[in-house]
Amino acid sequence: MMSPQTYRLLACVLVFSAIVFAFVGCDRLHGKPTEAAPTVIGSPSWTQSTFNTSCLGCHSKGAEGAAIPLMNAGYWKVATDAHVIQVLSHGQGVSMPNYLDSDGGPLTSDEIAALVKGMRSMWGAGSLGGQGAQGGHAGQGDISATVVAGDAASGAKVFATACASCHGTGGSAGSVTDPMYLRLISDQGLWSAVVYGRTELGSPAWNQPMPNHPTGLTTTEVADVVSWIAQARPVSKAQGQAKVQTKSQPKNQNASDTK
Amino acid sequence: MNREVILKLLKSPAQWIEERTGVVAFSAPLLFHHVPRSAKWWYVFGSATLMFFTIQIVTGICLGTMYAPSASNAWESLRFIDEEIPFGWMLRALHGWSSSAMVVMMAIHMLQVFMHGSFKFPRELNWITGVFLLLTVLALAFTGQVMRWDQDAYWGLGIGAAIVDRVPVFGDQMRALMLGGPIIGGETLNRFFALHVFILPGAAIALVGLHMTLIIKNGISEMPKPGEIVVPSTYREGFEERMKKTGVPFFPDAVQRDMVFCGVCLLLLVFLAAYYGPFGPGGMPDPTLINTNPRPDYPFMWIFGAVSLLPPASETAIMLVAPVVGIVILVAVPFLANSGERAPSRRPGMMLLAVVVVMAIVALTWEGVTSPWSPVMDGWSALPTPTQFVKGRTPLQMQGAVVFQFAQCRNCHELGGFGGKRGPALDEVATRMSPDQLIRQVQQGGGNMPAFGKNLNSAQMTAIVDFLSTLHPENEADSAIPGAQLPLPIKSPLTMNTVSSGAETPAGIHSR
Repeated sequence: MMSPQTYRLLACVLVFSAIVFAFVGCDRLHGKPTEAAPTVIGSPSWTQSTFNTSCLGCHSKGAEGAAIPLMNAGYWKVATDAHVIQVLSHGQGVSMPNYLDSDGGPLTSDEIAALVKGMRSMWGAGSLGGQGAQGGHAGQGDISATVVAGDAASGAKVFATACASCHGTGGSAGSVTDPMYLRLISDQGLWSAVVYGRTELGSPAWNQPMPNHPTGLTTTEVADVVSWIAQARPVSKAQGQAKVQTKSQPKNQNASDTK
Repeated sequence: MNREVILKLLKSPAQWIEERTGVVAFSAPLLFHHVPRSAKWWYVFGSATLMFFTIQIVTGICLGTMYAPSASNAWESLRFIDEEIPFGWMLRALHGWSSSAMVVMMAIHMLQVFMHGSFKFPRELNWITGVFLLLTVLALAFTGQVMRWDQDAYWGLGIGAAIVDRVPVFGDQMRALMLGGPIIGGETLNRFFALHVFILPGAAIALVGLHMTLIIKNGISEMPKPGEIVVPSTYREGFEERMKKTGVPFFPDAVQRDMVFCGVCLLLLVFLAAYYGPFGPGGMPDPTLINTNPRPDYPFMWIFGAVSLLPPASETAIMLVAPVVGIVILVAVPFLANSGERAPSRRPGMMLLAVVVVMAIVALTWEGVTSPWSPVMDGWSALPTPTQFVKGRTPLQMQGAVVFQFAQCRNCHELGGFGGKRGPALDEVATRMSPDQLIRQVQQGGGNMPAFGKNLNSAQMTAIVDFLSTLHPENEADSAIPGAQLPLPIKSPLTMNTVSSGAETPAGIHSR
């Protein structure tokens, strides 16, 4: 039988230790604001958040997204840093905006370079998919990421044999010589579309087997067919480009005017 | 020294003070006044409100020793309190959560008083001082939000100034008085600091004193019973008699429940502060950042919701008249019905009114939190088009999908469950609108949608409408009316027609 004094002492000890223990780990409470880590340009988190807020809407991964997926090893195998920096800085076609600050965009040239480097290190080596995978067939070689001038007359033949079954009259995949389409896409855009395809959506890359053309294309054939398609653009190039540039940014002249 | 001498020595200073101040004689009735035996758990909310108010004063004074009330340093000083001062963040969290808790507790207290008819004779002034306390506390909450001097504060002030600006004739002067100049600047912060730290707390303390004095003078109302009617001419005598016969002293009988409830509230407050942390500060106030989503604090969320949902033509009238009418009605409550039944079961109309008001505030708060009228600013740049909307599309339609992102349609329109809610979801828009209607809508806007005719060229328009025409459920045709005139061909003769070859290929206009 304990005396009341002992009870009181015990209670005091308990209350005291409860108070002491209540403060243990207070520094790690959930609500404590964490010091904002300084943003390191080029760090994976910076790259990811910049990509998420500026690129993800169009360039996602796999079958998602309206434009060429960038979270994709196949793309980075073909695309050189210089080419991606060029497109990112000055935009492309009608809908790819320019991101360089001197063009009115949000990023500095250092940030653009860091972003490209970061994207390559995150997705370049991954096994995310095979958009434009190199070496679909042996002997086809490496293809340029930027548009290469070709022979339109030969391109017509390439189109008839390799493309027309899906993209020709009555084809299930839709026309690529639609003048409205051609007004929206630059020559570089056509080049990229042929090179990378959208494999997850059923459109093969340049060197992959095509429904009526199991061997894929050679680099020369790609250049030729892009030249031929680009010829179908309805208005004169300069006029058409000027008209469709509603974002009023200076465009990547090298990419869109190379033939 | 024996026991009596010690007691005498202890007593004499107390007596000395008591003789000169009468502090014991004054405070004894505060502690020992009789309260009705029926006053049970319904009567704890006022005490809890007072407890939160006390916490506000204590934490507020502590914060006042560290806060820098200048436009250039305020935001930085909050970071300093959060990160450098030991438990500074906890102080801010307690102050912030206790402020919200006080508003909530006050609302519950007021609701309880209203539902029990406790505002009736002779407690009309208790109610009226309570109404002014509510207004003071809301003003404290609003000015407190400004103290954070972040984006929410900046835009909150902007909205407040815009409302004041609508006052006819004196709008300009009133806005200048509120902001300390034509624009939000350093003077504005100093002005709100003076309000938040001196004027409003002073007013609140005075009002609390008055409120308490009236409680002691008029006593605490009994639990309402159907049939016990308040008759002003005889109420006081009857009440005092009943208190003498059946009342219990506030201390220690009634205070026990108050202390238990306040203890639970305190624990809850500490938990909220420890788990959720302090409010803000959000981003630095920067008027050039337009893609922010500024929000008022919770006590004002329902006003934010209500104001956002007003029809434009009625805005000025309702914004300026409704608060005045609301306050007048609140003040008038005890005069409109200061006698008669108090029991909720005998006042069904009043109960219905209370329920409707509570539901309206809850619903408007929800609307304010979700704010479906606000565009999702990163809808176009951060939400990729879901696979089912790009699968099987033609190159032109894919370009249309790109234009769809580029023109920022998803800031206001949902696609695949993601995007803004300001406009209708577009997942099945092709079942509602023909291509011609789509062109007209995109070109000219209308129904709260801006016109995009000047922003899109003919190729972009063709592509986006071609893309939109594919947005219908698989195996379901688009909205062409049988027998109606076929839409004009929007593709040139050069185009190779798309022929539907299975469910994957959209059976759009081009296959007809």
